[in-house]
Amino acid sequence: MESNKKYWKGLEEFNKTSEFVESNKNEFAEPLPIEDVLNEAGLSTVTPRRDFLKALGFGLGAVTLAACQPAPVHKAVPYLIKPEEVIPGIPNYYVSSFNGQPVLVKTREGRPIKIEPNPGAGVFNQGTDAQAQASVLDLYDVSKLKAPVLKNEETTWEKLDAFVAAELAKANASGKKIRIVSSSVNSPSTKAVVADFTAAYPATKHVQYDAVSYTGIIKANENSFGKAVIPKYNFDKADLIVSFGADFLGTWISGEEHTAQYVSNRNSKSLAKGKMSRHFQFETGMSMTGTNADTRIPLKLSEQGPALLALYNALAEKAVLAGAALPNNATADKALKLVAKELLQQKGKALVVCGSNDVSTQILVNAINSIIGSYGTTIDLDNPLKRYAGNDAEFAELLNEMSRGEVAAVFFLGTNPAYDALNAKAFTDGLSKVPLKVSFSDRRDETAELCDAIAINLNYLESWGDANSYEGNYSIVQPTINPVFNARQAEQSLLIWSKAPVTDYYQYVRGNWEKNILPVLGKSWNDLLQTGTFSAAAKPAGAYTFNLSLDAVATSIANSSKALAKDIELHVYESTGMRDGRYANNAFLQELPDPVSKVTWDNYVAIAPKFAEKLELKEFDVVEVKGSNGYTITLPVLIQPGQAQGTVSIALGYGRTKAGKAGDNVGKNAFPFLSFSNGTLQYATTVTISKTGATYELAQTQTHHSFEGRNIIREATFTEFVKNPSAGNAKHGHKSYDLWDKWETPGNNWVMAIDLNACTGCGSCVVACNVENNIPVVGRDEVRRRREMHWLRIDRYYSFQEGDKSVSEEKEIAHMENLDHVTVVHQPMLCQHCDHAPCETVCPVLATVHSSDGLNHMAYNRCVGTRYCANNCPYKVRRFNWFNYWNDSRFDNYLNNEFTQLVLNPDVTTRSRGVMEKCSMCIQRIQDGKLTAKMQKRPLKDGDIKMACQQACSAGAIIFGDSNDPESEVSKALRSERVYYVLEEINTQPGIGYMTKIRNTDSLPTVQA
Amino acid sequence: MSGHNESILREPLITGQNITYAKITDDILTPVENKPNRAWWIGFIASLCGATLWVVAVSYTFWFGIGAWGLNKTVGWAWDITGFVWWVGIGHAGTLISAVLLLFRQNWRNSINRSAEAMTIFAVICAATYVVSHMGRPWLAYWVLPLPNQFGSLWVNFNSPLVWDMFAISTYFSVSLLFWYTGLLPDIATIRDRATGLRRKIYTIFSFGWNGNVKTWQRFETVSLVLAGISTPLVLSVHTIVSMDFATSVIPGWHTTIFPPYFVAGAIFSGFAMVLTLLLIARKVLGLENYITMFHIESMNKIIILTGSIVGVAYLTEFFIAWYSGSEYETYAFVNRSTGPYWWAYWMMMTCNVISPQLLWFKKIRLSITATWILSIVVNIGMWFERFVIIVTSLHRDYLPSSWAMFYPTWVDVSVFVGSIGVFFTLFLLFLRVLPSIAIAEVKMILKSSSEQEKLKQIKSGHLDKAQVKEYIESLEKFDSVKQEEYAKI
Repeated sequence: MESNKKYWKGLEEFNKTSEFVESNKNEFAEPLPIEDVLNEAGLSTVTPRRDFLKALGFGLGAVTLAACQPAPVHKAVPYLIKPEEVIPGIPNYYVSSFNGQPVLVKTREGRPIKIEPNPGAGVFNQGTDAQAQASVLDLYDVSKLKAPVLKNEETTWEKLDAFVAAELAKANASGKKIRIVSSSVNSPSTKAVVADFTAAYPATKHVQYDAVSYTGIIKANENSFGKAVIPKYNFDKADLIVSFGADFLGTWISGEEHTAQYVSNRNSKSLAKGKMSRHFQFETGMSMTGTNADTRIPLKLSEQGPALLALYNALAEKAVLAGAALPNNATADKALKLVAKELLQQKGKALVVCGSNDVSTQILVNAINSIIGSYGTTIDLDNPLKRYAGNDAEFAELLNEMSRGEVAAVFFLGTNPAYDALNAKAFTDGLSKVPLKVSFSDRRDETAELCDAIAINLNYLESWGDANSYEGNYSIVQPTINPVFNARQAEQSLLIWSKAPVTDYYQYVRGNWEKNILPVLGKSWNDLLQTGTFSAAAKPAGAYTFNLSLDAVATSIANSSKALAKDIELHVYESTGMRDGRYANNAFLQELPDPVSKVTWDNYVAIAPKFAEKLELKEFDVVEVKGSNGYTITLPVLIQPGQAQGTVSIALGYGRTKAGKAGDNVGKNAFPFLSFSNGTLQYATTVTISKTGATYELAQTQTHHSFEGRNIIREATFTEFVKNPSAGNAKHGHKSYDLWDKWETPGNNWVMAIDLNACTGCGSCVVACNVENNIPVVGRDEVRRRREMHWLRIDRYYSFQEGDKSVSEEKEIAHMENLDHVTVVHQPMLCQHCDHAPCETVCPVLATVHSSDGLNHMAYNRCVGTRYCANNCPYKVRRFNWFNYWNDSRFDNYLNNEFTQLVLNPDVTTRSRGVMEKCSMCIQRIQDGKLTAKMQKRPLKDGDIKMACQQACSAGAIIFGDSNDPESEVSKALRSERVYYVLEEINTQPGIGYMTKIRNTDSLPTVQA
Repeated sequence: MSGHNESILREPLITGQNITYAKITDDILTPVENKPNRAWWIGFIASLCGATLWVVAVSYTFWFGIGAWGLNKTVGWAWDITGFVWWVGIGHAGTLISAVLLLFRQNWRNSINRSAEAMTIFAVICAATYVVSHMGRPWLAYWVLPLPNQFGSLWVNFNSPLVWDMFAISTYFSVSLLFWYTGLLPDIATIRDRATGLRRKIYTIFSFGWNGNVKTWQRFETVSLVLAGISTPLVLSVHTIVSMDFATSVIPGWHTTIFPPYFVAGAIFSGFAMVLTLLLIARKVLGLENYITMFHIESMNKIIILTGSIVGVAYLTEFFIAWYSGSEYETYAFVNRSTGPYWWAYWMMMTCNVISPQLLWFKKIRLSITATWILSIVVNIGMWFERFVIIVTSLHRDYLPSSWAMFYPTWVDVSVFVGSIGVFFTLFLLFLRVLPSIAIAEVKMILKSSSEQEKLKQIKSGHLDKAQVKEYIESLEKFDSVKQEEYAKI
């Protein structure tokens, strides 16, 4: 109801006096003396004391207000014209491929921020490797060039094209050779481009060369079976795996696929069926694969050949090859006899692999595999792998051609010989004689530095392309972002220079697929863009028999073995994180601890403890390693149990000098130790070692290596397990009393199960977690100070075998005579989301609290940083932001610039200095899963939500889910008799169950000499 | 208290002849009313340098972050909380002397309570600086207070020992300050009455209108007693609660029920040591030998030996329980303490806290000023190491061996600690300049009953038991401030 009441402010208004009516017209009741103040006289009046005080007061107040820190202004520019498919806050996913692995690229508002496995990829890919996970960071790498470079100056593409075209015309006219040097190319479209280029310039030859080479296998198969291929290995079909120095779960050929296959025979599902494969590893350095072996025997490089010969002799009925003696390694000798016996028993279900790149050695391995019936079962020569096609001899020939001045133009695509060629000096000398040198590198790397033109290539996330990983298997690479810098795809450059009719590479790839590939598969281009990968039906794998004479092979092996058996044998190997060095500027990978040594940001000389004692070396002593070819580097010593006596190992991939901010001068380059003999690169040499007197502390994330006999690690042998599935998993029967009420979890109760028998320790999950959760990279010095920020780490423990006793306590280990027989266990460790979390009770400000779905939450904005929670965490999984890692020039190798900050996941808060953080169980993914289900008006399904670590794990070692749902995968997994909870006796009631480690070692109690 | 004669068997609490009320005032106010001497300036400049170092180190920490310290993912507290507990512990003697000894009518406290209380206040200030500076985001330190939500912070977690700690320390500080200041009132009034000009004005304000009439004195006595009653439980509660920071956790070596009594004993132990460290020098430099006598020194030494032995028993009990519990983590924690990489810290603690104080069983050592002073320093070093051992050696190797780590201090860690000592001494030396270091009024109270001259008068009056007099005279031999010739005649 409208009121008729009228209020008046004073009698003047009530009476409506004329003065009131007059004054009411004005805004101010009294006229303001503005004119008076502003006239000459007003301005020159002396300020009275009161006015002065007023002005002072106002001034002070104004300054105070102005000084109050305003919230920083972050400009968010809305879309003027919104792209059809981009909804802010909703990610888009695109299929693509990384190194031939089919992946799914997650983009947010047009930025690729995460790589996930392509769920449509089938058996090839359950997860991704650490390199794929880390690859998004490379897109946002500030060390890349922003425009093409001509004669060391930034230029435009027109000028560069004109220059290259003119030079190519000259080269063509001169009739000299043109060479395209690349690492192995398995892209059908790239191959077609190279063919077109060759057609335009007939003097062109495509030289494929891999720094870590598999030429030995290819040549051996050509020799043995007439097929110059790398076969497809089926570790899933092998019940007995014998590996001689092949790190097949890590770096060897195709680690991720091998992992998935290998684990399928050893994980909880397989164990539940009472089945577990058996794995022997004979190797020099301790590889990640070696740490997973049931029985691992240290073997010198010089003994590898004789060992294979001995194995052949034991297997073959008639032929007895010479040079098979292992006079100094009784253990290996004994083990080989046992292995031979078991291989014969397991004919058709066994596999022998060897990491050597020596043709003769690989021929011998082929002969062994032929005897045990591997061809057609565990080795498939008819659906070969296409990822590696490098030919060491062709590259060696290129060096000769260049030094003879026969080459007029050379193009470097995805390769960096100035860094990784075994004779970099010969390479650079030869290169200086080439008139036209073009690099397709995205940065001024070691090779690009020497080139006339750098036609900067796109990152794979900006590119079109394709891959043919296996016979009949094709996948697509599609761009997920417009080119960030003024870069152009290498293939397009080649097309332009060869004056091809189609120079747009998208059209080219599409045309190539529609003409050559899609009709075979019976699919359309749109199908391809949706699924990303297709396989034609696999050809039947034929059984092949080896029936050549091995005498020459045996002699060659024996000779090279003899040549190695002097001084100290050096084993150079591909590093799990850095690989061949191409990822050197990726800070995520630099900070990813080595799966075995847990060293970050450096390579080192790995020496067995007893051998180091003999050489009077201590850990972190800097030694000078002098190769037989005269190449010398200084590196710190790392004591590595399990390293073969008389040998040392050094990782490749380090010592880049022109990689970028993060990767420059990290470690030392070991490529020059390589040698070239019998037509292939050899990754072994002999060295002498001398102490320099200096010490250098390596940045390790773990410095204590034994688990001190604590029941945090529970293990059993397979035989024990078959008898009693809960073997090794003794339960504490005592009654526990609670001070606190039980948490109610009315909806979901998120828990996790981790299978220690599936985890290989590769660390892909660690990088996935870093990328997903914006975890800072802190750099070498901070890791040395034990301040790495990883929410998820993989604890690696050594224990030693003495007789049939396992020794895991530091004090006893110190007294052991023989430290060769080390067994290893990897334990992923992350926030256990305890129901009775010790961190929660001690936080003074309630920054860490329990949720109603079983999680331990961390409210960063609440945290004042007392660090009490971290102290009181028995698992030590909490991480403190010691500094502002994103805005501190001392941490310049990661997020300290706005461009790289584009890699951040916008769903995850970045943390400021002084705040505690830890695994949130990817709370953003849980929330997203819940919301999606709600929008679709359906209950949440098991498997809707996947953790970043779980997704990345090729081994499927991590299962996440709702324990309130008895049918969920995780509930089923947690009902296993193998499940135990770490430190359950202190009644923290963790939410993460671990499954006992089972080793299939039982029938070998006496092999340890 | 001055109404009756004290037994001749008791040692005098004030020595010297011709001590009058005026002389006491003059003696005690000498440093306050005169220009500082050279010794003071040297000490003050050195302390100020320390305090500056503290400002630099703490500013550096605030600017760059806690990463400036040597802490890591495993050892989240080290020198910071070690320093905190050390300072809080040192503060304890003041409260014990002012409150507990007052309730027990231990008149010898009257000469030392003022300095001890001042020391308490300054030590707690030093401790409080650690509470704030060890935080990752110190600008939000007020969030640990249960303030209304409108203030910006949210509610606190009353389950957290750090919240208890905050209450314990703030209560302790406010009660100690109140007690100290109340005791100061008559003395400030004395200074006021003797001062002129600006000084008089300032002291007038701070004397709160003390007029010295009987009613004022009566209220003063009552308030002192009430505050003593409030403070007494604090002597036990503060360090009990500090110990709960550790005892309520799950970390082996921390999770121990013996901590509360053991911490309290340790605190008193270190507190008395610090009182001795300070007063032995102040006594000499300020010429207060007549008021702080050998009797005081010996009494404090006796308390040190008692509390030191309690601490020793606690160490051994911890070890026994670690073995007896059968818990492998607990056992390891203690074996690691004594034989692990920080063995030197453990044995440093054992030597300084348990073995060397046993020397005080010897009367000669108890009465030697030099030995006492050295031992007091040794005890303080030992008590610092005790906290370091408890905090760092428990944390650095707890449950999962994968996370075992070492702690190495940085220059900032060291500077913050050394600097805090500088802050402490700066405050203490300023205190000596502006306030009486001995409670004038309280010393005057016992002049007529417990002073040497009074007792001498009694002896001379002649009707005392000869044997008792002999014993009394013998007991005077230990006093360096008693002129023996007087007694030779008797």
